[in-house]
Amino acid sequence: MSQYILRRLLWLIPVLLTLSFITFALMHLVPGGPWDREKQLPPAVVENLNRKYGLDRPVWLQYLSFVANTLRGDLGISYVHQDRSVTDIILNALPITATLGLLALILTVALGLSLGTAAAFHQNSWLDYICVFYATSFASIPGFVLGILMVIIFSVTLHLLPTGGWGTPEKLIMPVIALASIPAAVLARVTRASTLEVLHQDYIRTAHAKGLSQHIILYRHTLKNALIPVLTLLGPEVAYLVSGSFIIENLFSIPGMGRLFVQGVFARDYGLIMGTVLFYAFVVAVANLVIDVLYGVVDPRIRYD
Amino acid sequence: MPMNKSLSKSVMVAALLAFSFLLACAPGAAPQAAKQELRANLAAEPETIDPNKAAFSTQVTVIKQVFQGLLSFNQDLTLKAVVAKEVPSVKNKGISEDGLVYTFKLRDDVKWSDGQKVTAKDFEYSIKRLLDPALAAQYASFYHDIKGAKEYNTALGTPKEPKKPDEATLKSLRGGVAVKATDDTTLQITLARPRNTFLQLMALWATYPVRQDIVERFGAKWTEPPNYIGNGPFKLTEWVHQDHITLEANPNYWGTKPKLQKIVLRMFTDLNAEYAAYLNNELDMTRVPPGNEKQIIADAQFKTQLLRNNEMVTLAFQFNIAKPPFDNALVRRAIATAIDRETFIDKVRSGVGRVAYAWIPSGMPGHQPDLGKQYKFDVAKAKKLLSDAGYPEGKGLPLTSFQYADTSGNRVIAQFLQGQMKDNLGITVNLEPMETKAFQQLVGQKKFQWSFFFWGADYPDPDNWLPEVFGTDGGNNLTQYSNPKLDDVLKKAAAELDEKKRLTLWAEAEKIVIDDSPVVPVAYRERFFLIKPTVKGLKTTSMDATLPGDWFYAEVSRG
Repeated sequence: MSQYILRRLLWLIPVLLTLSFITFALMHLVPGGPWDREKQLPPAVVENLNRKYGLDRPVWLQYLSFVANTLRGDLGISYVHQDRSVTDIILNALPITATLGLLALILTVALGLSLGTAAAFHQNSWLDYICVFYATSFASIPGFVLGILMVIIFSVTLHLLPTGGWGTPEKLIMPVIALASIPAAVLARVTRASTLEVLHQDYIRTAHAKGLSQHIILYRHTLKNALIPVLTLLGPEVAYLVSGSFIIENLFSIPGMGRLFVQGVFARDYGLIMGTVLFYAFVVAVANLVIDVLYGVVDPRIRYD
Repeated sequence: MPMNKSLSKSVMVAALLAFSFLLACAPGAAPQAAKQELRANLAAEPETIDPNKAAFSTQVTVIKQVFQGLLSFNQDLTLKAVVAKEVPSVKNKGISEDGLVYTFKLRDDVKWSDGQKVTAKDFEYSIKRLLDPALAAQYASFYHDIKGAKEYNTALGTPKEPKKPDEATLKSLRGGVAVKATDDTTLQITLARPRNTFLQLMALWATYPVRQDIVERFGAKWTEPPNYIGNGPFKLTEWVHQDHITLEANPNYWGTKPKLQKIVLRMFTDLNAEYAAYLNNELDMTRVPPGNEKQIIADAQFKTQLLRNNEMVTLAFQFNIAKPPFDNALVRRAIATAIDRETFIDKVRSGVGRVAYAWIPSGMPGHQPDLGKQYKFDVAKAKKLLSDAGYPEGKGLPLTSFQYADTSGNRVIAQFLQGQMKDNLGITVNLEPMETKAFQQLVGQKKFQWSFFFWGADYPDPDNWLPEVFGTDGGNNLTQYSNPKLDDVLKKAAAELDEKKRLTLWAEAEKIVIDDSPVVPVAYRERFFLIKPTVKGLKTTSMDATLPGDWFYAEVSRG
C-alpha cells in the first residue's frame, strides 16, 4: 500500500510539470498582458515593469526560471499586488477556502448520508418523500441563487446574519449552506439508491433471519457496502469544495482561493495564475489519492499492489 | 422499529426549533456602527498602498488618510499648504522668476505617527524613490519635468530600445535629480523646463513623504501594519487582505485631531453585495446597482440618503482615424450629431450624469459650456453631413465595428450606439464584445475601429487633458489624431506661465479638437451614492478617489 501511495505521489511530478508548461504557454498566448489597461502606461514605465518581472527575457527562459524558482519554493511576486509574494497571497487565502470547504463538506456528508439512509430505511414513508423532494429541488437550485435568496431573507429583511466577509462564525453560515446544498442533495440521492440496493441483497435478509439488531445491520452490513458509490462521488466533491467556488466567494465577499484565481486570470497576474493552478492540481491529485486509498479501507476486495 | 421513530422525531424537532428561532429573532437586530466609526466599501483589495507606487483610486483613498503631502486641495480644488508653510509663488519667493526653481518651506511641527519629525529629507527620498526605474512607479512620468528626473526614470529605455546601465551610472543619475533638502525644513526642486501645473503635481499622493529607514528595514512589507508609518490623521491598524482595512485616529497627529476614531474599509467586489450590506446596515455608504437609480430617487426614505456629485470624468466615443471611414472628418461630425445625448443620460445612465459636448468637463478651469453645441442632436443635419461626406443615407459606407470590453455596462452603451446609428443615419454597426484585457491590448495597439472610453482628472487642469490624449506624441492618443496646428498651440500653452493667457490657449486647443472630432464626448460622469444621514460633515469634490469625500474624512463625524 505504501508503495502504491509513493508511486502515485511520484507521478505527480510529471503531471505538475506538464500542467505548468501548458498553463504558462496558454497564459502567454492569450491576448492582453498584465500592463495593458484602459489608460496606457508610458513605454519607459512598461520597460521598468518588464525588467522588474523579467518579462524582457525570452519566454522559454522565463519558463525555466519559473520552474527553477518553484522548485526552491519561491513562486515569485504577484504582478498585481506588487508588494506581496504569490506564496504569501495563496497562504492567506488557503485557510479561508479550506475552512469553508471542510465545513461545507461536513454538512454535505452529514445531511446527504443521514437523509439518504433514513429515506432508504423508510422507503415510501413521508421521510422518504421529504428526502426525495429535497434532493430533487435543491439539486436544481444553483448555489448562488440560494445564496442570494438567503441574503435577501436573512440579511436584508430579517437582519439576522451579515451579508458577507470573513472573520466571525456567523459569516460562515450562509456560504456554507450555499456551497453544500447541491452536493448534499446529490449525495442524498446516491446514498438512498445505493442503500436500497444493498438492503435487497440476500446477506441482509440473512442478517435479519439471524435476529441481528437493527443497529448492527445498519452500521456493519448496510452502510459499509452502500458507501462505495458515495466515495466515488466524494472525490471530485472534495476537490471542488476545498479549491473554492468563485461564484460563492464573490457573492459573499470571501477572501478565498476561488476569487483570487479568477481575479488573477482577469488581471493577467502571471505569477498568481501559475501558483494557483499548480496548487489546484496538487489538491485534486491528493484528494483523488485519498479517496482511492479509502476504497481499500471500505472494501477489502479492492487491493493495491 | 424504535430507532426509526426516534430519528424521525428528532428531525421534526430540529425543523421546529429552526423555525421558532427565526420567528424569535424578528427584524430589527441590525448591526450598528460603533460611535465615531465610518464603514465604507473600497470595492477591491488595493494592489499596493505605497504612495510612490500607487496608481488606482482604491489605493489613493487609503493613502490620503494616512499620509499628507506638502500641498493639498481645498474643496473647490484650489491649492492649500499642508506640510509646507505656504503655497510657493513668485510673490513669496517660493518660485523663481523664470519658473524653474521651487522652494518649499516646511512646518517644523509635523510628526510621523511614531512620533518622529517629518523633514525635507523624507520628501527628497520619496521623490527620488518614485523616479527609481527599479521601483517601476506608474506615475513617475508625471514628474519628468524635474531636472534629471526623466534621465533617471527612463534609464532602462523602452521595450523597443532597452538600455543596460551599470550600478554606478544609475547612482549618478539618481544624484542628478534636482530635488534637494537644503536643511530640515527646506526642499528645493529645480525644473528642466517651466511647468505651470507643477504645484498641483506636488499635491498628488505620489510625492507624499516616505520614511527611508522604514522602507529599507521592512522592504516590500513596509506597507503592512504596524510598519506603515504615515504623517496623516489616521493610521493603518489592520489589513486583512481581500477582506478589510482598519484605520484608526493617529494619536500623534500634528494637526487638528480627526473626529472619527475608526474607518473600516471593506472589500466587497460585487456591487449587489455592497448594496445589500448597506441595507443590512453593515456599511454607511454604498453605490447603487445600475438601473435602480430612478426608483431610489422616487423613494421617500432613500431620498434623504442620496448623495450625488459631479465628477471630472468625460465619457466619449473614440474613432481610429487612421482607417476609413473615420479618416473623414465629415463622417465623424455626422456621427457626433446623430447621437441623442439626452436619451443616453436618461436611458443608458438612468438619469445619472450630465450631457457633454465639450471635452473638458465642467468644474475644471477652462471648461467651455458652449463648445461643441454644433453637434447637438439633429437627425437632418447629421444626414446632410453624412451625405456631404459621400455617403448619402449611409450608402457605400464601409461596415464599421464597435469594440468594447464585455461588461454589462458597456453592453448597454454598445447597443445604444448601434440603435442610434441604425435609426438616425441608417448605418449598420457591427458589435464586437471582447474580454477586458484583450480589448485593452487591442486599443493600446491602435487596432480598434471604434470604441468607448473615459478620461478622468488626476489634477484639475486642461494640461492633464489635452496633450496626452490629442497631441501627436500623446501617450494616450489612441485615435492617431494629428494636427500640427494643435500641436503648436499645445506646446505654447504648456510653456505659458501667465494664468489667463494659458487658459485662452487651452481653450483654443480644445476648440480645434472639437472641430476635428477625433472623439465624441457624450456625458460627464456623476457619482450616485446612498449614505446614512448620521454621517455628518462629508465634503465631496469633483476629484474624489474611490469613496466620496475621501479628501476630508478627518472632518467627518457621526451624529
